[in-house]
Amino acid sequence: MAAPAYPAWVTRWVSGQWRNKKRPPALRPPRPLALADKVANRREQPTEATCITEMSVMMACWKQNDFNDAPCAEEIRMFYDCVAKAEKERKNQNEDTLSSRGNLPSSKVNKLLRRFPQITRYV
Amino acid sequence: MAAPSAVGLGRRLRAWLPRMMPVRWSRYNPSYLEPEVKKESYQKPLEELTEEEREQMELKAVRPIKAAPPTLSSSVFSDPMISKFTNMMMKSGNKVLARSLMSQTLEAIKRKQLEKYHKAPENEKETIECNPYVIFHQALKNCQPIIGLSNITKGGKTYQVPVPLTDNRKRFLAMKWLITECRENKHRRTMMPEKLSQELLLAFNNEGPVIKKKHVLHKMAEANRAYAHFRWW
Repeated sequence: MAAPAYPAWVTRWVSGQWRNKKRPPALRPPRPLALADKVANRREQPTEATCITEMSVMMACWKQNDFNDAPCAEEIRMFYDCVAKAEKERKNQNEDTLSSRGNLPSSKVNKLLRRFPQITRYV
Repeated sequence: MAAPSAVGLGRRLRAWLPRMMPVRWSRYNPSYLEPEVKKESYQKPLEELTEEEREQMELKAVRPIKAAPPTLSSSVFSDPMISKFTNMMMKSGNKVLARSLMSQTLEAIKRKQLEKYHKAPENEKETIECNPYVIFHQALKNCQPIIGLSNITKGGKTYQVPVPLTDNRKRFLAMKWLITECRENKHRRTMMPEKLSQELLLAFNNEGPVIKKKHVLHKMAEANRAYAHFRWW
């Protein structure tokens, strides 16, 4: 008997490709599957205002005492202390550490990633 | 042909003078140290100095020192606040006039307080403050605003947001208010020292138009306290 010329699908069926779920690739990546060296730009949320409680306490005291400063000396002192503390913290915070919310802005992340890029090929 | 090019060259060369460009900041090398003007720091014997003061002295032996500005003085009579106030009163660089006005103001304050002192009954004599410097400092302190307003634009609209002020800004505002008040709201024939001494004495007692201006600012800040969250610092 001559070599039987079966259609291609018969050979494929017989070889069990379909049963082994061998399908054409489901994903054809347009870009290489590797991490890029930058993150998307994200709008940074503004930090909250500091010393609002002290300010409102001081203003309540002012309202009661007709805006005289002498009776409200304690509240004013507390407000000044809070402001000084916030100012000191703002000066001391290092730019490269995390912000108060635990986020790094996207520009700094990109700078770090540029220093340690993804290796795409070996020489 | 030769003449225009020579003129242009001269002008360009004059504009490019190496190391002589006037700028707003300090041109000193960062290694230069500030001059020490206080006499007491030099009269201390060597043993009384702390570790850091000794290190500072050794550093001064090696590093160059900046030139002392003409406003910095080692005299016991010099007061940085008074100097600052005199500078703010000065017009067109006429420091002689500003300084004489300042001394006349202090003299006027002293005269008024002495008059009150001699007219007062015995038990009240201690309460009257006669030192014009003390009056000046206390009056300025009473005039300083505690909280300021700043314009913050959000969503296209500008809001007046209550904002804490730095010490320098408070001092500046107090002095500015005093000087503007004395320049504008006086009779044509009153002299500046008289009006200034009047305003300083009123401010010392927490009265007067400058204190009112400060209260108006505080009231506006209190009215706008809802916008305090628009601040981001």
